[in-house]
Amino acid sequence: MKKVLSILLVLAMLFSLAACGGGNSGETPSGVTPSGETPSGEAPSDDKPLAGTYDIKVWVADAITDLTQKQIDDFNNTNTDGIKFNATVQAVGEDVVATQLITDVEAAGDIFIFAQDQFARLIQAGALAQLGEGASQFVKENNIPEAVAAVTLNEGLYGYPVTADNGYFMYYDKSVIPEEDVDSLEKLIEDCEEAGKYFSMELQTSAWYLASFFFATGCVSEWTIDDDGMATALNDTFDSPEGLIAAKGMKKLLDSPAHVSSSQASDFASGSAVLICGTWAYDDVKAILGDNLGATDLPSFEVDGTEYHLGSFNGFKLMGVKPQTDAVRQAALHRLAQYLTGEQCQLERFTERYWGPSNIVAQQAPEVAANAGQIAINLQAPYATPQGQISGAWWNIAKVIADEVKDAADDEGIQAALDNYRDKCNALIGVGGYVFVGAWNGWDNADMTHKLTEEDGVYTITIDVEESDYMGGRIVTATNWDTDHGAAQVTTGAELIDVEAGGGDNNIVFKEAGNYTVTWNADTNVIEIVKN
Amino acid sequence: MKEKKTVKRHLGLRATNAISNSAIHVLLVIISIIWLIPFVCIVLQSFRLELSGPVGYVIPRQWGLDNYAALLRTDFKQWYINTFIIALVNAALQTVIVLCMSYTLSRFRFKMRGALMRLMMILGLFPGMLTMIILYRVLKDLGLTEANAVPGLILVYVASSGMGYYVSKGFFDTIPKSLDEAARVDGATRMQVLFKIILPLAKPIVIYTVLTAFMAPWGDYVFARYISFENPVGMNVAVGMYKWLTIDQISSNYTMFCAGGVIVAIPVTILFMCLQRYYVEGVTGGAVKG
Amino acid sequence: MKRYSDLEYLQLSKWKKFCYRILCFFLSIPTALKNAFLGIGRFFKNAVLAVGREFKDIAVTFKEGDGKTRLSYLVMGWGCLRRGQILRGLLFLLFEAVFIFYMVVSGGYWLSMLPSLGKVGPGKTYDPILDVYVYQYNDNSFKILLYGVLTIFFIIAFLYTWRLNVKQNKLAEEIIKSGKPLKSGRDDLRSLVDDKFHKTLLALPLTGILVFTVLPIVFMILVAFTNYDGSHDGYINGLFGWQGFENFRTLFSWKGANGHSYAATFGEILTWTLIWAVFATFTNYFLGMFVAMMINKKGVRVKKLWRTILVMTIAIPQFISLLYVSKMFAKNGIVNGVLLDLGWIREAIDFWGSTANNGLLARVLVIVINIWIGIPYLMLIATGILMNIPSDLYESAKIDGASGWKQYTKITLPYMLFITGPYLLTQFTSNMNNFNVIFLLTGGAPTNAAASWASGNVGYTDLLITWLFKITTGEDAKYYLASVVGIMVFAVVALITLVVYNRLPSVKNEEDFQ
Repeated sequence: MKKVLSILLVLAMLFSLAACGGGNSGETPSGVTPSGETPSGEAPSDDKPLAGTYDIKVWVADAITDLTQKQIDDFNNTNTDGIKFNATVQAVGEDVVATQLITDVEAAGDIFIFAQDQFARLIQAGALAQLGEGASQFVKENNIPEAVAAVTLNEGLYGYPVTADNGYFMYYDKSVIPEEDVDSLEKLIEDCEEAGKYFSMELQTSAWYLASFFFATGCVSEWTIDDDGMATALNDTFDSPEGLIAAKGMKKLLDSPAHVSSSQASDFASGSAVLICGTWAYDDVKAILGDNLGATDLPSFEVDGTEYHLGSFNGFKLMGVKPQTDAVRQAALHRLAQYLTGEQCQLERFTERYWGPSNIVAQQAPEVAANAGQIAINLQAPYATPQGQISGAWWNIAKVIADEVKDAADDEGIQAALDNYRDKCNALIGVGGYVFVGAWNGWDNADMTHKLTEEDGVYTITIDVEESDYMGGRIVTATNWDTDHGAAQVTTGAELIDVEAGGGDNNIVFKEAGNYTVTWNADTNVIEIVKN
Repeated sequence: MKEKKTVKRHLGLRATNAISNSAIHVLLVIISIIWLIPFVCIVLQSFRLELSGPVGYVIPRQWGLDNYAALLRTDFKQWYINTFIIALVNAALQTVIVLCMSYTLSRFRFKMRGALMRLMMILGLFPGMLTMIILYRVLKDLGLTEANAVPGLILVYVASSGMGYYVSKGFFDTIPKSLDEAARVDGATRMQVLFKIILPLAKPIVIYTVLTAFMAPWGDYVFARYISFENPVGMNVAVGMYKWLTIDQISSNYTMFCAGGVIVAIPVTILFMCLQRYYVEGVTGGAVKG
Repeated sequence: MKRYSDLEYLQLSKWKKFCYRILCFFLSIPTALKNAFLGIGRFFKNAVLAVGREFKDIAVTFKEGDGKTRLSYLVMGWGCLRRGQILRGLLFLLFEAVFIFYMVVSGGYWLSMLPSLGKVGPGKTYDPILDVYVYQYNDNSFKILLYGVLTIFFIIAFLYTWRLNVKQNKLAEEIIKSGKPLKSGRDDLRSLVDDKFHKTLLALPLTGILVFTVLPIVFMILVAFTNYDGSHDGYINGLFGWQGFENFRTLFSWKGANGHSYAATFGEILTWTLIWAVFATFTNYFLGMFVAMMINKKGVRVKKLWRTILVMTIAIPQFISLLYVSKMFAKNGIVNGVLLDLGWIREAIDFWGSTANNGLLARVLVIVINIWIGIPYLMLIATGILMNIPSDLYESAKIDGASGWKQYTKITLPYMLFITGPYLLTQFTSNMNNFNVIFLLTGGAPTNAAASWASGNVGYTDLLITWLFKITTGEDAKYYLASVVGIMVFAVVALITLVVYNRLPSVKNEEDFQ
C-alpha cells in the first residue's frame, strides 16, 4: 500500500514540476525568447509599422503617477503612428528602481524613471536599451549638453533626460536663522545649537550629499564605466590634501550635537532649522514653515583661514526603456519615451510638481525661471559638479567616510579614513599597487592592465615596445595619474631612453623597439631598465 | 487571604504582603505605561491634521478623521482585502497541514519517523532568507507573482507550514494514548479516532494554530515585497504601507501610515484578545514540549 | 578535571554542584561533537551498504521471477496489471509514461545543460528600419540550474518508484505462492485511512516541504559554487558558471588592503549574533517569567487587564510598532525631545548613529526593545506553566519555612527550565535568525566602517541574517557570497542545536510525557 501512496506523492510533485517546467520547456531549450506580447488589434501596415495596441507597465515616482497616466492618454490621442498604449502606471521611487530591478529585470516596468546615480547599476543589470540613431538625435537636439552626457556611455545613449535639477541646496527657517548667517556653515551650526534646533544634512547615509564638502575644495571622483556597467578606471582625489581639508570641514558639522543625518522635509517639524535637500521637498517644506521658508545656495566653511563654498552634485532624472522585448514593441516604447521626455510633458511636470526641465526650450519658460526652488538651485549652480557616470558601488563606499571621519581623533585619523576609502575604490576596479601607463603602444592613458608585480618593495614589469611607438609612459599609483615615476628616476639603463622626446612630461620613451624589463624600487624611488 | 489559616499568621507577614502587593501594582502600572506608549502615540498621530509628516510632539494641534478618509483614496483597501484573504485562507489550510503533520508524528511510530523529524529540524535551521529569490522564480514561472501574488503567497506559506509542527505535536503528546487504543479496540479506524476522539480534545491547539497562522501574514514584508514586485494589486498591507515611509513619501504620508496601522491592528487585536485563553492553553500544552 | 562519583557529588556544596554541572556540560561538548560526526559517518556507511543490498535484491528478483515480473522491469506495473491489481498497475504505468514524456520533452535538455550552465550568452543587434537595438537572450543559467535540480529530484523519484515496482512483483509472487489473495484496489484505499493513515496525512505536507523548502535549499547551496550575482544573472546580462570552492576560499582568505578580511567580518558579525541571541533569549526568558509571577501573585488585582495590555505587542504587526519605535529613538525623535525638555540631557543622543565602542549604544537598545517585544510571549507561556506546577510543592516548602527566593530557585526555576528546555533552544536559534527586529529597528546601523570592505555595508547591529539580506540586495547583489555565508550560518546553528538538543532532559524522555 505504501507504494500507492508514494506514487501519489510523486505524482503530486510531478504536477507542480510539470506546471513549472512545462511552461519553459517549450521556449527556452530552443534558444531565443523575446518576452513581449505581440501587438494585437489591427495588423501593422507598411506605412505605419508600429501601429497596434500595447499593454505596458510604467514605473514612475508616486508624485507623478496620475500625471503620467494622463500624458500617456495624450500620447495615444495625438500620435500619428497608430500606436495605442494600455498603460499600468505604478509608483516606484526613482531612488530604488535599481534595487528592485536587480531581482528580476524582466518583471520591471517597460519604461521607468530613475535617478542618475543608478545609471551604472542599471547598465550592469542589462535594464537599459541603447537608443537608436534617431532617438539619440532627438535627445541631443532637445536637451542641455550636461543632460545628454548623463545618458551617454562610450558613444552610446541609454536613456532620456527627464529633469535637470536633481541637485541640492539649503532650506532654512527664517525665524531661527538670521539672514546674514546663511553664508557660513560655522554660524549656521552655532545658531542651531543656541536655539536647540537641528541641522539636517544626510552625511552618514548618503554619498550624494557627503560629496558636497569634497567638491568644495576641488576634489574630483571621475569614473570610466564600460559597456557592461563595470568600472574600469578612476581619477579620484578625495584622499589628497584638499580632501583632508574637506573632511575637516565636514567634521565640524558631524561633531555638532545639532547635526542630524537626514534629508526629509518633515525634519522641520521635528526641530530642524536647516535642511539640505532638493526642489522636490519644496511643497512639504512650505507647508511646515510657511512664510518662514528660506531657500538659498549652500554655505561656506572655513578651514585654516580659507573659505570654501560647499559644492553639490548636479544630477538628472532619467527615463529608461527596458530592452527585454521585440523590435516593434521596443520601437513603440521609444516613441512614448520621447513624448514623455519632450518639452510639453516636462513643462507639465514642472507645473504640477516643480520638476525642473532638462529640455532647452522648457528651461526658458518664464514660470520655470521664477520658482523659488529653481532660483536656489540656480544660485548653487556655479558650485555644482555635473554628476557624470559613477560606479554603482561608489555610493556605498563613499558614504562610510562620514562615520569614519566622525570617529577620527585627529588629522591622521581623518587621512586614514580617506586612504581606506581610496583602497576600496581601487579594489573595485581590480587594481591597487602600481601600473605602467601611457598613451602609446596601443594603450589607453587610463588602461590599467599593465600592472607591476611586487616583491619586497620592488616592482617589476616586462613590456614589448614596437618600432612605431614614439611616445612614452610612466609608473603611477593605480587610479591616481599625478603620482608619476618616470624618466627622471631612471638610473640604470638611462642610455636606452630618450628624455628629450618626452617633452617636459617625465615620460619614459624607449629609443628602439624590443623587450624591456622595468624595475622600480618603492623605497628609493629609483627606476632600472634592462633590455632583454 | 480571608482563610482562617492566614488569620493565625503573624501580623507582620500580612503587612509585608500588602506592601509587596502594592509595590507590584505600581510596577505593573509602570510596565503597562511603557508598553502602551507607542500604541497611544500611533493612535494620536493618526488623528493629526495640521502636518502629515513626522513631528517632534505627540498631541495633535488639530484633530480629525481626514487621515482615515485619505486611506480610502489610496490602494489601502486592496491591500487590506489581500491581506485578509491571505490570512483567512492561510489560517484554514495551514491548520490542516500542521495538524496532519503533528498528529502523525505524535501518534504513529513508523520507520522513517525519527529521520523525518531530524530532517525537518535541520531544514528549519537553514536561513530562509536565501531561498526567497528562488521561490520568487518558481512562483513567477507558475504565474503567481505581481497581480497574482495573493495565491502565490498563500501557496508558499501553506506549503512550508509543515515545518512548524513542534508546538502542536507537543500538545498531542500530552493527550493520553490510551484514548486512541480504547477506540481502536472498539473497531474505529485511525481516521475515525482522529476526527471523533482527538480533535475535540485538541480545541486549544487548533485555535492556537489558526490564530498564529492568521496573524503571521499581516507582518510579512520582505518576501511579500519580492512576490508582489511593485504591483499594488498584489501587495499586502506591510508592503504597501512601508512605501509611505520611504524618503520621498514620509513627509506627506506619515499620518496616513499611522491611521492605516490602527486599522490593521484592530481586527488582529480583537481576535487575539478574544482567543487569548486558548492561545495560552495551546502554547503551554505545546510549546513547552517542543 | 576531577570526576566525582555520585556519593562525592552529593556531599558538595550547592555552589560547587552548580559549577560541576556547568563544567560537565562544556566538557561533554567535544564528545558530543565526536559522536555527531561519528553518527554522520555511520549514516553514510549504512547508506552505502543499504544500496548494495538493494542491488542484490533487484538482481535476485529478476533471476527468480516469472515472465510478468521480468517484463515489469521495462514496463512498470505490468506484473500488477496481469495479477489483477489494476489500480496499482495503472498508477505505475502512468508514472512511467509521464516520466519518459517529461525527460524527452524537457528534462533531457536541462540535464544536458547542467554541467555547463549554458553556452550562449546574450547579445544585441541594430535594426536600422525600426531604429532600435534588438537584444537576444539565449541560454538561461538560472533555469538550467533550477530545472536541472528538479529533474534530478524527479529521476530519484522515478528510481524509487521503479524499485517499488520490482519489490511489488516479488511480494506478489510470494503471496500467490503461499495461496493468499492479493490486495485489491479497495483494500488499498481502505488502508489509507486506517493502518497506513499516516501516509495519507503526511503526503500533502511533505510534498509542500519538498518543493518549497528542500528544492530551494538545494538550489541555494549549489549557488555557493557558482558566480551568480547582479552582473551574471544567468540570462539578461550574462551566464553564470561553476566556480568550485572559489567562493569559500574568498570568504576565508580574501583580505582588503587594510588587512580586514571577509573572515574577520564574518567573525565579528557572528560574535555579535551570538551575543544578541544569548541576551535576547535570556533577558526575555527571565523578565517574562518575572512579570508572569508578578501578575499571578495572589492579591494582585485585575490580572486580565495587565495581561491584555502586554499582549497587545503580539497582536499588533511588528512592521507598525517597530518602525514607530525606531522613529521614536531617532536623533530628532520624541524620546530625545522629551529628555531634552525634562533637562535630563543637554545634547540629543544619537541612539542609532553612534559608533562609539562598536555601536554599543545601538546594540544595547535593540536588546532592550526586544525585551519589549518578547516579554508578552514569555509571560503567556510562563503563566500557563506556573499554573501547572502542583501547589502542594509550594505548600510543603512553606511549611519547611522556605523563603520566596528559595521557593523560586528550588521549585519554580527548575520546573520551568525542565519543561521549556526545547523552547529555549528554538528561541535561541530563531533569535540568531531574527530578521524583523534588526531590519525594522536599525537596518543594521550604525555603520561598521572597518568591515565596509566586505560586501553589503555591514553595520554594528547587523546579524548574519540581515547581512545576508544586504548582500543579496546590495549594489552588486552577490548571491553566491550570500549563499556561502548562509551555509556558514547553517553550520553554526546546526552545531549548537545538535550539541544542545540531544542533551535536553525533556527530549531524552519523549515517551515519558504520554
